[in-house]
Amino acid sequence: MIPADEEALLPAYVRRILAGGYRSLNPLTKATLAAVSAIVAFGVRGWTGPAVVLAVVLSSALVAGVLRRMAPFALATLPLVASILLVNTFLYPNAHDVIANLGPLSPTWTGATAALQATLRVVAFGLSAALFALTTPIDDLLGELERRGVGRRGSFIVGSALGAIPRTVERAREVVDAQRSRGMDTEGRLWRRFRGLVPLIGPVLFGALAEVEERTMALEARAFTAPGRRTILRALPDSGWQRAARWLLLVGSIAAVVVSLAGVVKLP
Amino acid sequence: MGLLTRWVRRQFTTRVIVLMPVAIAINIVLGYTVQNVLKLPIYVDSIGTILVGCVAGPLPGALTGILSNLIWQYAPGIGGSSIGPFAVTAGVIGFMAGIWGYLGVFRSRPATGLRLIVPAAIAVAIIVVLAARMYTIPQYNDPNAGNYPNWVYAAIVVIGASASVAVALFVYLRRDAAGAWVAVAGALTGVVAAIVSAPIAAVVYGGVTGSGTDFVVAALRQGGADVYNASLGQGLLSDPIDKTITSFVVFLILAGVSSRVLARFPLGDRLVHVDAEPARSPEPTGTPSDS
Amino acid sequence: MPGAGLVLAGVGYRYAGASAAALVSIDLRLEPGRVVGLAGANESGKSTLCLVVAGLAPGVIGGRLDGSVRVDGVETKAMRPHELAQRCGLLFQNAATQLSGTTSTVFEEIAFGPCNLGLPGAEVVSRVWWALRAAGIEPLAPRDPARLSGGQAQLVALASVLALRPGYLVLDEPTSELDPAGTRLVADALARIARETGAGILVVEHKTDVLAQIADEVVVLERGAVALSGPAAATLADPRLLALGVEPPAAVRLERAVRASGIEWSQALAEAIG
Repeated sequence: MIPADEEALLPAYVRRILAGGYRSLNPLTKATLAAVSAIVAFGVRGWTGPAVVLAVVLSSALVAGVLRRMAPFALATLPLVASILLVNTFLYPNAHDVIANLGPLSPTWTGATAALQATLRVVAFGLSAALFALTTPIDDLLGELERRGVGRRGSFIVGSALGAIPRTVERAREVVDAQRSRGMDTEGRLWRRFRGLVPLIGPVLFGALAEVEERTMALEARAFTAPGRRTILRALPDSGWQRAARWLLLVGSIAAVVVSLAGVVKLP
Repeated sequence: MGLLTRWVRRQFTTRVIVLMPVAIAINIVLGYTVQNVLKLPIYVDSIGTILVGCVAGPLPGALTGILSNLIWQYAPGIGGSSIGPFAVTAGVIGFMAGIWGYLGVFRSRPATGLRLIVPAAIAVAIIVVLAARMYTIPQYNDPNAGNYPNWVYAAIVVIGASASVAVALFVYLRRDAAGAWVAVAGALTGVVAAIVSAPIAAVVYGGVTGSGTDFVVAALRQGGADVYNASLGQGLLSDPIDKTITSFVVFLILAGVSSRVLARFPLGDRLVHVDAEPARSPEPTGTPSDS
Repeated sequence: MPGAGLVLAGVGYRYAGASAAALVSIDLRLEPGRVVGLAGANESGKSTLCLVVAGLAPGVIGGRLDGSVRVDGVETKAMRPHELAQRCGLLFQNAATQLSGTTSTVFEEIAFGPCNLGLPGAEVVSRVWWALRAAGIEPLAPRDPARLSGGQAQLVALASVLALRPGYLVLDEPTSELDPAGTRLVADALARIARETGAGILVVEHKTDVLAQIADEVVVLERGAVALSGPAAATLADPRLLALGVEPPAAVRLERAVRASGIEWSQALAEAIG
């Protein structure tokens, strides 16, 4: 943590403090919220858990002003949701309360209920992940984690992976374009798609691995393996109530899951 | 405690730290392309995980798998899929790959004649046994439990037979007995992965994951299987194939990398033959070609 | 200053597991503030020499080193990689693989090294600004490192190594992947750094025009041993250069062509070409 007067030395584009009610929260708080949302959405049986999570997530998104940008993430869950609804409504095992008699593929109420619950869970989880992705730059989170002891190696792995993804996509795209100009099928029959896959993997992999040598030496040349704690330039604000809230949320969510699984309190 | 710390530290050298992000990116990009763009009924999202596992060790392998899933789920731009909760499976796959690495499964074993045929025969036998085990598990046979339709049995036989033939061909054509062990390692990893994934898919997602494999799940359910067993059945059909293919891909990659480079990884001595002199250094890193 | 300088004495090097030696009995001296150019055919050992001078071989990649490598009087064999990094910086051809890939601004990218050392925040910031000025890239400070041109990225890589304040710099073909504009940027920066910061620079280059511009001394390697060495102008005009697989600079080639066709080669002509 660098003292306030030194903080002033950092240019604004490095300090990058986010404004706004939700965004200005410490990244650890936002991450805890995402983790807790996942735990409650999937762990608490019934409708209540996911419904609560969805409500919290949507209202936070409203406060943070990212509600509209959540739409594509919601849309992205459609294939999964469609699959869940179809497979479970029409093919739910041992369900006999039929909605309409269509022979062997009859939709059932039990199936539909299970399908809707699963859908609610998936959407709640997906949107909580979206909220996190839209409001929390990973740099911020990694810096905070490193300050609290995760260490430079963990932070490097995640940070570098995020940077490596667009690079690998670019490389893959080049390979796919080259293959397509030679007649690879990305739409056609299963066998053709399989055959198109094989020449894609090799160049992408070898290209990526070739970099490992030089990157390793470049890291050593920048004193990556020096002992001691690494200096974190950007200190993000945190507060006592946030710390308390984080613990409360974590403990509370686990308690809610335990209570729900034990069947002590029956929620809808 | 000192021994444990040293074991952990030995697996996370600078070179491994550099390899892991590359492997994570490979997992995500290839997995996304295969599952969401090409929509094939396999995953191909563990190549990086298994690669790191067998050159670095169980812990880096497991961590690569877990981080791949978490980053895929929470990173802006590619999120929105259902991959996050399967971080557990990915961790297990990476851990097992580390164990195979320790056992030297991915080391090339050029051989001829009997020394080639025996491992191939053993591998085929193990595959047959695995397939037979799957054929006869109670879920498949007990009408009260699994109640799988008949085509599943035919599928198992066909997969088992073609896998055996493919492995035998590979071993014969490359004159490399390691193919047999790689196949067995891949199949076992796949079976374990299926067993670990089934409860996650069933409990968390109601049995389907929005990928190409859902058709298999639907078909199994139509035959009468319940939620958990449909997921398990689909897993046992897809995962062993996927992980065996992935293991072979990793094996072929390693075969294409020079032994001098491989020797610098923590498990390098298990990946190259003993007569090649490994680098003696505390922090192994690389070398450019002379110029 | 007695004892100053990066000195190789009788240095031979063999990679781990290799049968032949990559370097044979090399004597080399790198003085602070001087630029030494290194040239030679492919496989002549230039890259290996870079690794040995910077101490990465054998310290980081293993192998066997004969002879001694001393930086300001201290043997490099005993130093850890992060100590070596603060004495002798090393740069490679491909700028993209040298950027950490974990930062969103050039400022933070250059701060990567000093932060790794755990220096206090104010010290890190002052070093970053110093390095930005030394490499001449202050306007690039807020930019995204992933979106720079080849020459700019190479300068950012240079600045991030400079931020560790090494007394010596080793560069392995820094301009090989750059266009002429980028090459000029890097060459000018190197000359300026040697002049203003007093760092001793060893630069491997195929482009002998760059060496002609910035090097005080030139060494030519052949099969791991020193074949030619001496002041830059004289060595680059040496007739044996082509046989050693090195293309002489344009000015030298022009002078030879002009003389060969019988025209008078005057000093005024030489100066006009520059």
